[in-house]
Amino acid sequence: MKSRQASKRLKNGLFLVFFSVVSLAYLMPIGIVVINSFKRKAYINKYPFSLPTGRDFVGLENYRAGVEAIGFFEAFGWSLFITVGSVSLILLCTSMCAWYISRVKNRWTRAFYYLCVFSMVVPFQMVMYTLSKTADSLGLGNPLGITVVYLGFGAGLAVFLFAGFMRSVPLEIEEAAMIDGCSPPQTFFLIVLPILKPTMVSVGILETMWIWNDYLLPTLVLDQKKYKTIPMAIQYLKGGYGSIDWGLMMAMLVLAILPVILFYVSCQKYIIKGVAAGAVKG
Amino acid sequence: MASIRFDHVVKTYDNGVTVIPDLNLEIQDQEFVVLVGPSGCGKSTTLRMIAGLEEVSGGGLYIGEQKVNDLPPKDRNIAMVFQSYALYPHMSVYRNMAFALRLKKLPKGEIDRRVREVAAQLELEPYLKRKPRQLSGGQRQRVALGRAMVRDPQVFLLDEPLSNLDAKLRTEMRAQISTLHKRLSATFVYVTHDQTEAMTMGDRIVVMKDGRIQQVDTPQALYDRPKNRFVAGFIGSPQMNFWQTEVLRGPEGWRLRGAGLEFGMTGWQLEGYEGKNVTLGIRPEDIHAEEVMIKAHPDALVRGKVSLAERMGSEIYAYFASGGQKLIARAPARTGIRGGDEVVMALDLNKLHLFDADTGERIPRQG
Repeated sequence: MKSRQASKRLKNGLFLVFFSVVSLAYLMPIGIVVINSFKRKAYINKYPFSLPTGRDFVGLENYRAGVEAIGFFEAFGWSLFITVGSVSLILLCTSMCAWYISRVKNRWTRAFYYLCVFSMVVPFQMVMYTLSKTADSLGLGNPLGITVVYLGFGAGLAVFLFAGFMRSVPLEIEEAAMIDGCSPPQTFFLIVLPILKPTMVSVGILETMWIWNDYLLPTLVLDQKKYKTIPMAIQYLKGGYGSIDWGLMMAMLVLAILPVILFYVSCQKYIIKGVAAGAVKG
Repeated sequence: MASIRFDHVVKTYDNGVTVIPDLNLEIQDQEFVVLVGPSGCGKSTTLRMIAGLEEVSGGGLYIGEQKVNDLPPKDRNIAMVFQSYALYPHMSVYRNMAFALRLKKLPKGEIDRRVREVAAQLELEPYLKRKPRQLSGGQRQRVALGRAMVRDPQVFLLDEPLSNLDAKLRTEMRAQISTLHKRLSATFVYVTHDQTEAMTMGDRIVVMKDGRIQQVDTPQALYDRPKNRFVAGFIGSPQMNFWQTEVLRGPEGWRLRGAGLEFGMTGWQLEGYEGKNVTLGIRPEDIHAEEVMIKAHPDALVRGKVSLAERMGSEIYAYFASGGQKLIARAPARTGIRGGDEVVMALDLNKLHLFDADTGERIPRQG
């Protein structure tokens, strides 16, 4: 009995050490970015791991200069607009789509469902060039147009998750709503949508994190002279001949990841639920 | 007027399977009709056609004088109670009950009055703010009933509403539903596979099999005069005993021989059955262990060793075989019959049922 307890304690201790090391490995890059965001650029390359003190500490100067240099608040505004718009469109359209294909069972809805699942498998790199040309010819190179493109890319995962959840919603509830007097849109918005809320939150969080951090799609689709999201704007800190002002870059990276960290902390349990449901993409 | 009429109604699904080939049925206004039958007999499909949840493939379905084949559920003035209650999980009890009235855009005061009145009748007042997941099965069922009642419909449709409840609660709710019917003066159509519910609740029972009506009658008439072997076997618990007998013509009239017995049958229309087999049926309570019955029917005695004796409190179900025929008898508990006992019992020849061995149809008595 005693030896079993001792071996259990030893196993727990080893897990603790192992996962602490793994956690440090994940947290270290973020920590390095944060501490270097408060340093003068000349000292960042020389002493990347030291804390900012004395002559290398510049306070919030990197933040101020970076915000000015890249037009951070404008980029933040576009990122927010595109993320909120795309996620809203994805949630509305894909939830309705999943409701239809899970309730109307024929070969067309089955085929459409499998198409959505298949779209999750296709790598973005396969379609990005043709996508760029198509978006250009359709005039989608603006914040409103790109939400349609995100709808296309986000639909696969979202339909898959919603359809899976819909199967657990008893049809009798919708039939009761029909008898009570609901039209199909009323049935969806008053009865089905509130029941779908947990899945909507999970899907919304996953899509938000993907779209907010996305660099490649906006770069390919958006008219970069007029519109820049945060990941795109940060790239402009790369000067000619590959020179980078690391101090400003670090500061802007902190500002870029801060909303995501705050978002994650507030929605942590829903994200884990969504991941556990097999929602990992990319 | 809330009578319901099925006029040669047919139900065929998209895959071509016809589950209801030709249904003709009239349910009177304010009647309590029970649709009963084994799983897959079409009783729920019939109910759902009344509700408008299933399309009618052919024929005419009428509520009152109006043909409702193409009328959406919300325009039929019906309310339905589902087996799984189908309460809206994100709404409180109050909102569940008020939902239909809100959709009709009734004034708030009127909605509140109706909901509270029904909640008082069903003793739901303490639970109005709770969500369905915070209620027990019986409470949820009452909320489902209440949600139907507030709408003041002309027809109540109940699809096996008690099947998810325990036995004690089922008995209580049965009485409550019956009382409700008397109070509301509405037409009730009740679907169940439980014959106890059917026998105790219905004004009339519709026994169905394979999409066809076998018999429509009052509970007692179904029990005493089943139209065919299926109805005879379905109604009554334990099931009626059946065995094959040969019809003989003796000097004093018709005789039946089978399972080691031979006895005279007076008062039966057995012309055309001489030398043929008929199915004899007798209910377990009509096989008697009492001495007086054994003396009264000396020709119709069955003997055997009890293989199983189920004690039900006030009576015993004795399972035994006689002349190669398995039988079940209901005996009073005071007989003290136990497994392994050798028993002698008498068939009450006045309570026999005969069925055509080929068609299963009842062979009538004379007169």
